Amino acid sequence: MIFLNIIKRELLEKKRLLLIYATAVTLILLIQELFDAFIAWQTQFILPAAENYSGTFSLFLFVGGLILTSTIFAQDLFNKSAQHNYLMLPASQLEKFLAKGLITAVGYPVVLALLFGISSVCIELITRMFFGSPIILFNPFSLATLQQIGHYLAIQSVFLLGATYFRKAHFVKTVLAIGLLGIIVGLYTAALMRIAFAPYMEQLRSMQIIVDSSAIQDHQTLFGVLEWVGSIFYWLIIPLFCWFTAYQRVKEVEATDAV
Amino acid sequence: MIHMQHVRFHYEKKPLFTHLDLEIPSGTIYGLLGVNGAGKTTLLKLISGQLFPQDGTISVLGCTPKERDPKMLQDLFHLPEEFYLPNITAQQYLKTYAPFYPKFDESAFLEYCREFEVSLTQSLHTLSFGQKKKFLLSFGLASNTALLILDEPTNGLDIPSKSQFRRTVASAMTDERTFIISTHQVRDMGTLIDPVIIIDAGEVVCNSTLDAVAQQFTMVLERTVPSSEDVVYSEQVPGGYMAMYRRKETDEETSIDLEVLFNAIIAQPGLLKNRSESITGGLA
Repeated sequence: MIFLNIIKRELLEKKRLLLIYATAVTLILLIQELFDAFIAWQTQFILPAAENYSGTFSLFLFVGGLILTSTIFAQDLFNKSAQHNYLMLPASQLEKFLAKGLITAVGYPVVLALLFGISSVCIELITRMFFGSPIILFNPFSLATLQQIGHYLAIQSVFLLGATYFRKAHFVKTVLAIGLLGIIVGLYTAALMRIAFAPYMEQLRSMQIIVDSSAIQDHQTLFGVLEWVGSIFYWLIIPLFCWFTAYQRVKEVEATDAV
Repeated sequence: MIHMQHVRFHYEKKPLFTHLDLEIPSGTIYGLLGVNGAGKTTLLKLISGQLFPQDGTISVLGCTPKERDPKMLQDLFHLPEEFYLPNITAQQYLKTYAPFYPKFDESAFLEYCREFEVSLTQSLHTLSFGQKKKFLLSFGLASNTALLILDEPTNGLDIPSKSQFRRTVASAMTDERTFIISTHQVRDMGTLIDPVIIIDAGEVVCNSTLDAVAQQFTMVLERTVPSSEDVVYSEQVPGGYMAMYRRKETDEETSIDLEVLFNAIIAQPGLLKNRSESITGGLA
């Protein structure tokens, strides 16, 4: 019951912002589809509407969702006057953290997918009425959509950690941190590869790059293991680490963290 | 209700408390006084778990504030000097926040709002600062929490509201509740707060009831500069000098002017320190 009240509080306080955002998404979709339908009507060339929806969905899912995630703690943890309300709210720290985490990780993609689905029905009817376009709806439950949401869940966890760790410019700092981490991991991997594939490096050094398929086949198992380890990290270890660390950070937040 | 033992706290470059001990029992309206920067707000934030001590132990309502246990938070309402209200109506605020406080009394809340003349239909963002403060005061009093912390509650209130504030707070007080009111406005609070905690430069220099003070000191308005050896403090006031004397057994008790007492203690921090029951503090 308390958890539902926390969710209710979160949504109520962001109600106006979310309504404006939802309206903007619908209008952008409408304009985009009307424009595409008009072009199709003029040129008799039918654009694949479903692809359009899918591309726009990705854009809003990742850009919108990650920005929303980055800013979800901005007021409640780092604003001098608003922080008090959050810290003094009579609920456990885990409940308060999970409410924000679930709204951004699960609530946002689900609502966005439903919004796209419903909007596509209305928009397709309009374009059909005016331009006679074929009706191609956005399917929130398609494999492609679910895969996108899966990737969003994995990546979102990093931005959730950034939201609790950085006091200002959460999104930009998280992107920069990921970039920096990427460079470090890349250099480390390169060094490891240099050691692991030392016999083939001579050829690289003398600029005689030969793609030896037998060598790749020889190391097929190694590549498979690396891919498996990478998947485990991407889908499980990194998200769990980020959620756990973000929660610990929320627990440790004090009034002195507010700016 | 509140036990603080050997609490050490400092901001990055500013040491504040080094070995603060404080006991606050239930059933009283405590006044927390101190000059700017003395550590009043910090002390309140340590009590409510918004700041963590670097050393020592704090227990509030049987819980450790640092853990921000929901059991403690359900029984503690802290109205800060600077506060934030979401852009929702008073009714929505009530429906959203009241369920978090199990002992919340909605009818009392409506009554307090009526007494303070706060509109419940308006968006909270459209209320003036004073109106917002009265709204939160009403909410805090109606929450029926065992511990109510008010940081400068009369700042921003008009004169009638200050009187109303005193009446309402006094009427909401019960033996099970403790109010801690931090204030600079001793004239506004003189009739309301007792006992008094005075902190100066991070040290508790007084933790005493006004009765206990009246048994040790007398205050007399003198026409001329008091020169007796028994004068511990005097200050010029309209109509003469308010003098504070050590009370002899034969002297009658006098009423204690809180402002003069405060000034006396700030001028001589050791004045009451060794006499009060549960004071000790450390200056960094």
